[in-house]
Amino acid sequence: MDVLIILVPYILRGLKITLSVTAVALSSGLIFGCILAILRVYGGKWLSRAITVYTTVIRALPHILLLLIIYFMIARVIDLTPFWAGSLALAIISSAYQAEIIRGAIQSVPTGQMIAARSIGMSQFRAIWHVVLPQAFRHAIPPWSNEAAIVIKDSSLVYVLGVPEILRQAQYYSARTYQPFLAYITVAVIYFMLTFLTNRGLDALERRVHIPA
Amino acid sequence: MDNHNLKTIVKLEDIHKAYGDVEVLKGITMEVTEGEVVVLVGPSGTGKSTLLRCINQLTIPDRGRVWLEEIELTDHKTDIDAARRHIGMVFQDFNLFNHLTALGNVTLGLTRVLGMHKEEAHQKAMQELERVGLEDKWMNYPGQLSGGQKQRVAIARSLAMDPVVMLFDEPTSALDPELIGEVLLVMKDLALGGMTMVCVTHEIGFAREVASRIVFMEHGVIAESGTPEKMLKNPDLPRTKQFLGKISDLH
Repeated sequence: MDVLIILVPYILRGLKITLSVTAVALSSGLIFGCILAILRVYGGKWLSRAITVYTTVIRALPHILLLLIIYFMIARVIDLTPFWAGSLALAIISSAYQAEIIRGAIQSVPTGQMIAARSIGMSQFRAIWHVVLPQAFRHAIPPWSNEAAIVIKDSSLVYVLGVPEILRQAQYYSARTYQPFLAYITVAVIYFMLTFLTNRGLDALERRVHIPA
Repeated sequence: MDNHNLKTIVKLEDIHKAYGDVEVLKGITMEVTEGEVVVLVGPSGTGKSTLLRCINQLTIPDRGRVWLEEIELTDHKTDIDAARRHIGMVFQDFNLFNHLTALGNVTLGLTRVLGMHKEEAHQKAMQELERVGLEDKWMNYPGQLSGGQKQRVAIARSLAMDPVVMLFDEPTSALDPELIGEVLLVMKDLALGGMTMVCVTHEIGFAREVASRIVFMEHGVIAESGTPEKMLKNPDLPRTKQFLGKISDLH
């Protein structure tokens, strides 16, 4: 019982950081990914090519390597805490994957939707916002759910920057109590629950916004 | 018909359009006056749909000029989004917004383009759905409507913007034969109500009953045009007679 009482504060402290890193990485990655996807599809030849290079390079490299590269690049320019630098690095990595997910979803919306929107006098921006994206987001939920699971797990990578997220906390704990098995199993259960609940939540969202046919 | 006192709604002047090496439109000049119903016919690939899309600039002509009333749409200074509000367009494959109900489809332009308040837009949209006989389907999504119903919602969506001209791009070509009638009925009502219309269609019955003019296009030019009476009974060109004869037999 004593070991558990000692473990809980470690885990809670770490969980808070893990959730924060994930939230920052996923949401900034979504916003950045959306902008990239829209520019990739509607931004013309050169912009589209530049974005393709960006997403291709990022998706080709190990996340941990990118994290280190981006961290040291960010650290040179601005003085950020390891927490923010790590979260933003994960956001940049995720944005490449999310951009591809959203691009695919945008391209799965029939072109007639855009044409019809323009024909009633909508600007291209409004047509994207009110007609294309609402449909694209619905298509994007299943692959996005997958990406969310990956980002939850990738949040553990900020460990290498010394950010005390849940895995590092477990390590502190096991160093203090010599109970590594308990610590790591607890962390495993928590990662599982986070991923499972997130995917379930997104499944529910998918059903809720399903278009009746 | 004496058109001298009537306003010109659409004017096309020497419209050219090529896709790669294929010249689809080779100099089309045409005017549509207020209340006129112009039916464009011709073999497929002769540029009828392209011509229609040049009117609202969904396709930008390579050469030539287009006017909507006094506004030159081909002028780079013209706000084309603003001009398109006044040009209704109905597509072969309906293109209803899939994520919105019938009501939502009609309302979207009213709120997001014209800036109407929600309640006012709903009221107006319900009137338009009533006009096409679908007021009881307002809550249905496109996936829950038949082809004919979809097309009528699409017509209501265009009409809600109070257009000065309606363009129809083969509005019945994607429909099952038994659903064509309901769409044609709505189009006839519109025509008889004085709406200015340009229709690409091979529905000769519709043309005979309500067209002011039939325009026969072939190989990217207007081969011949005239009243339905003249075009269907004794056109100048044997080719016109042959083509219209063929599609009359079909319908």
